[in-house]
Amino acid sequence: MTVVLDGSVVRLQGLCRVEDAEPLAALLQSGEAATIELSDCEAMHGAVAQVILAFAPVLTGTPAVFFLRNLLLPTLAAERQLRRLKLK
Amino acid sequence: MAQFLVEGRELVAEAGRELSVLAQRPEDAVALDGCFRAIHTLKGSTGLFDLQPMGLMLHAAEDLLSAMREGQPAATGGFEALLDVVDQVDRWLDTLERDGALPSGAASVGRAAERRLRDLTSDPASPGRKPDAPGWHIPPEFAGLVGTAIRYTPRADCYFSGDDPLAIIAATPGLTALRLSPREAWGPLDHYDPFACNLVIEAVSTADRATVEAAFRFVADQVEFVELTNLDPAAPDGTAARRTLRVDAARVDRLADLADDLVIAKGGLAELAAQAETLPGGHALGQALRGRQAQLDRLVGDLHATVGRVRLVPLSPLFARFPRLARDIARSLGKSVTLEIEGGEIEVDKTVVDGLFDPLLHVLRNALDHGIEPAELRRAAGKPDAGNIRLTARASAGHVVIEVADDGAGIDIGHIREVAVTRGILGREAADALDDAAAIELIFTPGFSTASTVSEVSGRGVGMDVVRSAAARLGGRVTVESLAGQGATARFVLPLAMVLTRIMVVACGSERYGLALDAVVQTTRVTSDDIIPIRDGRAFQLRDQALPLVSLGGLVGTGEEARASRRVIVAKVRGELVGFSVDAIVERMDAVVRPMNGLLSGAPGVTGTTLLSDGTVLMILDLAELVA
Repeated sequence: MTVVLDGSVVRLQGLCRVEDAEPLAALLQSGEAATIELSDCEAMHGAVAQVILAFAPVLTGTPAVFFLRNLLLPTLAAERQLRRLKLK
Repeated sequence: MAQFLVEGRELVAEAGRELSVLAQRPEDAVALDGCFRAIHTLKGSTGLFDLQPMGLMLHAAEDLLSAMREGQPAATGGFEALLDVVDQVDRWLDTLERDGALPSGAASVGRAAERRLRDLTSDPASPGRKPDAPGWHIPPEFAGLVGTAIRYTPRADCYFSGDDPLAIIAATPGLTALRLSPREAWGPLDHYDPFACNLVIEAVSTADRATVEAAFRFVADQVEFVELTNLDPAAPDGTAARRTLRVDAARVDRLADLADDLVIAKGGLAELAAQAETLPGGHALGQALRGRQAQLDRLVGDLHATVGRVRLVPLSPLFARFPRLARDIARSLGKSVTLEIEGGEIEVDKTVVDGLFDPLLHVLRNALDHGIEPAELRRAAGKPDAGNIRLTARASAGHVVIEVADDGAGIDIGHIREVAVTRGILGREAADALDDAAAIELIFTPGFSTASTVSEVSGRGVGMDVVRSAAARLGGRVTVESLAGQGATARFVLPLAMVLTRIMVVACGSERYGLALDAVVQTTRVTSDDIIPIRDGRAFQLRDQALPLVSLGGLVGTGEEARASRRVIVAKVRGELVGFSVDAIVERMDAVVRPMNGLLSGAPGVTGTTLLSDGTVLMILDLAELVA
């Protein structure tokens, strides 16, 4: 399992693959989860990133991998800001 | 609207600057981009107001520039047409500032300019090589980055075919920036399809282009590249990259006024400390007060200097208005001229910059009208047809020296002598006795105008005397030099910042006035017996010289000094010593002299005001103007 629900927080762990996108989308769609914890994420498939982009959940935790921490997380956070502003 | 006028001028200046670069080097992509950006922003701003003719014209200009960016070779006359558009916008900005609306003929002027530009844009000349221009809008986050910009739009079915776009990007070497965004709007999220790729991935890599392209070799059809060069011209020379804040000038002025008042309020402390020291047992208190005062002195001095720097603004926005004006004036005179500008980066107190436009314009008009010769005369003198005027600024020891130098015929000094005699300013002998420098000084005499016919350009009923008094109001001076056949130079020497001035406070009757101490040569006492009546004036003997004696009270209208023994201030007025009698000399002090504004700005004989520590306003007199 790389998508773990812990209360209302989804933890993404290890290598998140294309097949993780659907359960993640379902959790966010149903409102069961509103926050995603990324500390233990080691890689993320484009489809998973796209789910985060689309549903704009709260992101917590800092992944150790450079690409995720310094490049992907900032753009996801920036797009989330934009989406939140537009939704309101 | 005020904001638009300020920004509009900046953008016009920028577009003009880039166009002058392009006129020399049409292939300069940085200048082309800069010009495009300026025109584009200008066009955008016109939409906020009812400025349709301006918008129409700018839109056409933008299209022409856009075609040039895409590689269409610059059509003949393209840059001239663009420059004309920029000049027209500048002229309209003047009108807007004055009347709040475009002139009545604006619509047809705008349409004509638009047609001219459209004709140039649709020039069916060879499509040309498409330069390395991005087919997409580079995200603003990438501004200032250098390297290869990548735009990767994965196919919608790429997740099925086993591609992971993010993995491809992550494997690209040298990544410095990444942006993920949806290719299409998400739509209702209830129907979110996790298997359809809806991503646009943009990134910047510093790796060499071949390496970057290799990373995308399997998806080459879905990716675009463009080299990012540091397009921001501000970064290398650091002029525009500074973080700036637009603040209402009135607030800064208020802050400066408060800082000025603080300098004065602080002045009262020394007096209190001295009083405290004389009290029985007050010595320690006085000492403590004195210590605190010294500390306050430093802080207030620092604050005053810092606020002074806030008021400093570069000369470039002021200077940027002159190239267009020079072209307009030259055209109306049938002359051609190049205006070189230097030193726009020098920062000067805002009051000085604001007060300089009219005097500089006047001097520039004079140079174009009387200085630069007609082309045939220039040719005969072995000069290029087009005249050259240099508008330069340089800082020197607390002052800024601004010069307007032309390469024209120079001032005809014989002619000046003639005019001075015919206008009755001087007698023939006196005029002939003047050396050249003193003869040139005559042009500053009120009512003097060297043009034998008042031309439309120079003759606006103002002479160089107005220029001189404008410079004096700004705390500076102006001089003119001329070399026959080689041109004339008008030189303004102005304070960089409003500084503390040494002032002598004198009493005339119950009124007090300030005099700038640097004009005062000495003070003396004169009794009635020492006064020699001369015609309708008076003189007195100072050592071996007889000096004219003027009653300051008489000049300012408080009445003549009645006492038998008078205090006399000997001051240098236009190179000559003059005695001014006053009732008393009160004190000497340092003060911030504020130039006169509002209704009083035209008051003759007053350079400014300062606030005394008791809150009263002290007028600072200009002795030279008073006896003029």
